[in-house]
Amino acid sequence: MFDTVLIANRGEIARRVVRTLARLGIRSVAVYAAGDRDAPHVREADVTVAIDSYLNIEAVIAACTSTGADALHPGYGFLSENPALARACVRAGVTFVGPPAEASELMGDKLRAKQVAREAGVPIVPGFSEEEARAADYPLLVKAAAGGGGRGMRVVERVEDLDAALAAARREALTGFGDDRVFIERFLPRARHLEVQVIADAHGHVVHLGERECSLQRRHQKMIEESPSPAVGDELRATLGAEAVALMRAGGYVNAGTVEFVADADNPSEHYFLECNARLQVEHPVTELVCGLDLVKLQLQVAAGETLPFGQDEVTFRGHAIEARVCAEDAARDFLPAAGRILAYQRPPGVRIDDGIETGSVVDAGYDSLLAKVIVHGDDRPQALARLERALSGLTILGVVTTTGFLRGLMADPGVRDGILDTGLIERRAVPPAPIPDDGIGVAAAMLTLADLRRRGGDDPFARVDGWRLGGIRAPSYWRMAVGTGEPVDVEVRPDYVAATTWLGDGRFAIVDRGEWSLARDGDVTWIGHGGYAWPVRHVSAAEARAGLSDGELRAPMPGQVLLVPAAVGDDVRTGDPVVVLESMKMELVMSAPIDGSVAAINVAVGDRVTVDQPLARVEPEPSR
Amino acid sequence: MTVLRSSANPGSEEFRANQEANEALVEDLGAQLDRVAAGGGERARERHTARGKLLPRERVDSLLDPGAPFLELSALAAHGLYDDEAPGAGIITGIGRVSGRECVIVANDATVKGGTYYPVTVKKHLRAQEVALQNRLPCLYLVDSGGAFLPRQDEVFPDREHFGRIFFNQATMSAQGIAQIACVMGSCTAGGAYVPAMSDETVIVRDQGTIFLGGPPLVKAATGEDVTAEELGGAELHCRTSGVTDHLADNDVHALEIVRQIVGRLGPRTALPWPRRPVAPPAVDPGQLLGVVSADVRKPYDAREVIARIVDGSRLDEFKELYGATLVTGFAHIHGHPVGILANNGILFSESALKGAHFIELCDQRSIPLLFLQNITGFMVGRDYEAGGIAKHGAKLVTAVSTARVPKLTVIVGGSFGAGNYGMCGRAYSPRLLWMWPGARISVMGGEQAAMVMTEVGQPEAGARLREQYEHQGRPYYATARLWDDGVIDPRDTRDVLGLALSAAGNAPLADVRYGVFRM
Repeated sequence: MFDTVLIANRGEIARRVVRTLARLGIRSVAVYAAGDRDAPHVREADVTVAIDSYLNIEAVIAACTSTGADALHPGYGFLSENPALARACVRAGVTFVGPPAEASELMGDKLRAKQVAREAGVPIVPGFSEEEARAADYPLLVKAAAGGGGRGMRVVERVEDLDAALAAARREALTGFGDDRVFIERFLPRARHLEVQVIADAHGHVVHLGERECSLQRRHQKMIEESPSPAVGDELRATLGAEAVALMRAGGYVNAGTVEFVADADNPSEHYFLECNARLQVEHPVTELVCGLDLVKLQLQVAAGETLPFGQDEVTFRGHAIEARVCAEDAARDFLPAAGRILAYQRPPGVRIDDGIETGSVVDAGYDSLLAKVIVHGDDRPQALARLERALSGLTILGVVTTTGFLRGLMADPGVRDGILDTGLIERRAVPPAPIPDDGIGVAAAMLTLADLRRRGGDDPFARVDGWRLGGIRAPSYWRMAVGTGEPVDVEVRPDYVAATTWLGDGRFAIVDRGEWSLARDGDVTWIGHGGYAWPVRHVSAAEARAGLSDGELRAPMPGQVLLVPAAVGDDVRTGDPVVVLESMKMELVMSAPIDGSVAAINVAVGDRVTVDQPLARVEPEPSR
Repeated sequence: MTVLRSSANPGSEEFRANQEANEALVEDLGAQLDRVAAGGGERARERHTARGKLLPRERVDSLLDPGAPFLELSALAAHGLYDDEAPGAGIITGIGRVSGRECVIVANDATVKGGTYYPVTVKKHLRAQEVALQNRLPCLYLVDSGGAFLPRQDEVFPDREHFGRIFFNQATMSAQGIAQIACVMGSCTAGGAYVPAMSDETVIVRDQGTIFLGGPPLVKAATGEDVTAEELGGAELHCRTSGVTDHLADNDVHALEIVRQIVGRLGPRTALPWPRRPVAPPAVDPGQLLGVVSADVRKPYDAREVIARIVDGSRLDEFKELYGATLVTGFAHIHGHPVGILANNGILFSESALKGAHFIELCDQRSIPLLFLQNITGFMVGRDYEAGGIAKHGAKLVTAVSTARVPKLTVIVGGSFGAGNYGMCGRAYSPRLLWMWPGARISVMGGEQAAMVMTEVGQPEAGARLREQYEHQGRPYYATARLWDDGVIDPRDTRDVLGLALSAAGNAPLADVRYGVFRM
């Protein structure tokens, strides 16, 4: 076994690998790029090395050399599937914990992998040449040969769209992967995504660890993964497993890898090889939980040349596991990546959470948006679902918009509960709205803010927040709050509300009849969280409201002469755009639009003399959308 | 430290009788406060809000930090005066925290006779300024007033403590670095125009606030000029042309927000002149206060029953417990603030007066604020006492009270008669704040005594009239209507009121002490 292993990765997977290394008594080396100096994966490793980028092979190899690492674990993403890294490792005398370069090159190329699959007797999606495609049944799929993660993929509904789709896919493939080869294949409109975890040693033993279903995706990014698939029985499991093993064997694959299939949603026995992932995958924990194995440990063992410690017959599956990916994305805004600082982070007890964040972490939109994986196990699927629901509702992440609330809503979907899944499900469903309307969130935010003020004010008699007045009267307080990017809501906090809030410590409060809430502040934004949901709430000032109420009138600040009139009546202008330029006392004064809108009037012309306060022009706001 | 215990028996007939009588008084006080809070009545309020204006109490609520307390002053001013046409004297004053700073807020109630100044309105405004001056609190004027109430100009305009004094105070306070901020939310006519004009920084609400020395009718009469109020003194004019005002607001909420920003720029308050310790609630149930306090002023009870229910942990370290026992003196804390308490436990004798003078000097030396709990029928009379020099001993107490530089707070919990009122820091001795309980009485002597004196000098009919007069004029509502105090309070509010008052009083630094303690 190895003495020192370097992890060429960051975030949750780096911590995941460090944990196993620690358990095995192996020294761990973390590398980190500039922004990650204080990241938990760095702190938890035994040795740390700064590098300029997680994608710099030379730097990573140099770090192995300088720290005496005898093996390198690539994690997923970054360089994990780059054969150049595996080769560089070989050159440097460092064991690469992953498949040999040749195998990953072969399996990473979709066209060649498909060829291997065909030869190994694994069903592949019927493919078509351009000519064949013109006569085929639609829909069809155009894919980049070198692509992955959904990039460079296009569904073509009609033959007339084929040429345009091919051209676009080639363009995308060329810019995205430097390789413009594309292929065309049959497209299953309602498909499940099934995949089989395989582990192979260098001695010809290849074992599968059952399937995972990853059909809940949006834009080809997995959000929920589970094992076993609710659509796969023992027979199909054996078939899928045998196919995956045959393929990996044919490809000369060693170490952990995944064979992905696309299956007809209603009849998954009709399935086709999709692609092979020559790495440890994000969703590997669900397999670990049902098989009772540590995949990273197995990876290290086979990389060290050991024989797999078990055969296929010894692999057993127990219960049901589900993983939910909590990402820094805004589900309400088409999963736009979110960034910011984690103001508060609390994990539910009793479930496995693989995460890369902690309170204070900065989420950089430049990296993968995955923050944490919530992984639950149950005796059966309903129990696992119930545990996931409980875990998600107990997860607090404030400061950055995450998918936690969305995932809760998704898991409540009847189709999802019944296991009737397909890869288009998420995109067909409207994003479930937050279970609390904005004004309710505004009230809660005001209540929490008051409770927090009361806590911080201590026992100063003037710091009480119950609106104390003489004679037992208690006055309300008035707030105007905006939840997220929503319209401001007016909130009145009645004094009896204040007594209803109890500080529990650590940014958490209990509100009578409303459960547990958390609060964190970031400048003028207050983040509140409840049941896995989180909302940024802002106190909207009257001055801010005023900006929208500006009369849009431009007046001369001093006497002078009109030098230029860059705008014309009817022009659309944005705040700050020049409308009239004056010359006065040898100065040029640019009179710019005070609001967004259109120029409604210009009262002066070039050369006009103007007096102080003379109206020059007027901008009218755009009609409200 | 000694933890006081109560000997009250909530099951006793006496306790229940007190409770019942005091509850009735407190209930009536609540009803009076409710009446005043409604201002000038439903129609006036509707007219006011229909113009997009916030009601004066809403203005105060919005100006204060969210949920912050407001220690209102003299809420029942003008009670029973002017045919009760001026609830609260048409003005709301008090101390509250704005942007973290304790401030004095003065808000005109335009629903009461257009916010015009009755004589008591002037007095209440001036008293608020005095509170600001003594405690060095920024003044925030929410102006919405038609100026002096013209029918009573002789009681409002000419004298030293009349309308003009408002501006004198603004100028002299500003000179001392006490911020003067005005927010013009309605009319500011004639003399009223000087409130914003004399302020350090002024906000005005567009299409709502106006400032002019003479309104449009007066201008028309004087010069024949036809001009609208907005043209004559509107927000645009004063922000753009005259420079009388500094900040233009769109509405009340916006204006108050600007005021909060202005206060936020004033910097932090000065540190408390005394150390504060963690707060402990009274160990003896403050809820029993109404049962232990005699409903009949003539019926004595142990002052410690009151002290135990208002001080932290019910802890009182008595000073000279065994000497001059009719005055209880001791050290305690209220809401964490140290206080030296002087509480009457009977009539004042020479010893009690000397003890009090000694104790006041001790507290003054040690920068401990003083709290007077008045329940005093007066100094002892009689040949032996006069011969013992009770007048000069009383004078020592009065001197000590007058000259102590520490903040003094007075609560009249029972009787406040004669020279006892002086020795126990009555209104004339400028306590920072002074309150009355609803069952208290204040007069130069008891009505009974006055009647007896008149009978003794052979005028029994005059005596009977005096008895009635004293009874009437000695009542708390009569007193508070005329601003002889800063408000009538529910006894159960006393502890919180004192805590807020001590916090506010701590804004003013203390001068150095330049004498030693005279042992008496």
